[in-house]
Amino acid sequence: MIDSILLIDDENLFHLVFEDACSLLDITLNLKTLSSADEAAKYFKNLVETKQKKPDCIFVDLNIIGSTFNGIELIRKINFDYGDGVVIGIISSSNDKQEQTNAMKAGAQFWIIKSDEIEPRLSEFKKDFDGFVKRKLKFKVYA
Amino acid sequence: MIKLNEETKKVLLALSDDKGIYLEGNILKIIDTSDDPTFDAYIKQSIEKDNEKRTKRLEITKQVQEQNIELIKSKGEKDEVNKQLQKALEKAEQAKESAVNDLELMQKKAQFELIGTIVKVALWIVCGIGVVTTGMFMICLSLGIENQIIESAWSNMFGILLTNSFSIIGTIMGVKYASDRLDKKS
Repeated sequence: MIDSILLIDDENLFHLVFEDACSLLDITLNLKTLSSADEAAKYFKNLVETKQKKPDCIFVDLNIIGSTFNGIELIRKINFDYGDGVVIGIISSSNDKQEQTNAMKAGAQFWIIKSDEIEPRLSEFKKDFDGFVKRKLKFKVYA
Repeated sequence: MIKLNEETKKVLLALSDDKGIYLEGNILKIIDTSDDPTFDAYIKQSIEKDNEKRTKRLEITKQVQEQNIELIKSKGEKDEVNKQLQKALEKAEQAKESAVNDLELMQKKAQFELIGTIVKVALWIVCGIGVVTTGMFMICLSLGIENQIIESAWSNMFGILLTNSFSIIGTIMGVKYASDRLDKKS
């Protein structure tokens, strides 16, 4: 089980879907959700300043409506401004190869396609999580 | 993992038996029940109920999500239809404006043609009378005939012709100026 997960997605309904899926699949007991990239940047800045523990895994939506930057820029910011060390990736309904390459270059380790059948993908991700933590697994797309 | 004391376990078990109220959420996954089979069964039942609720909620949320996507899609289609209607309306307005302009142009053309015809006819009449009267006057002069009627008719005619010519020119210029001003105002 993953100790703590942070989900950044502008769609509040998806927060509920993700929370229920995580609970049913025993993925985590500690899930925090944020609705914008700006909120997430502020949250990370605060974590670093107060020296609190960062989440173990971060799921970022690709297009976060109402934010000043998109998911890939947020991943770059988290990795480069607030230090590496967390498992981070994109969760999006898009399957754009170019965007996936961009995400990988920004430091994303995975890309999960957001659709009705999210549970099998999250279940597979749960199995792979240790590989991501130990940096043994290459960038993976869960489609 | 956390361990609950006997008193709390009794209260929780009583609650489930009497009122059907069970613990919910992630806390169920961190309660240690290894030394108490009765409470272990209670926790398992609670987890089962919690999972049932979550599965149901997950399905409903997914349905709502799908409906939201459909709504967004249909809103987009509606906006597209509205845009097309707006474009068609603009085109119709332009066509109407163009037709009105064409009609005005045709009316003006007809008016100018009429004015031209009137002026031409008037000029022919004026010139004809002038030529006839001058011819008659010249015949009288060459033959040495004194004819008061033709002399006065010739001089009067020239006087009247000059006055009327300027009057006609003035009227035509006035009409042209007035129609130009109306065009600019509209």
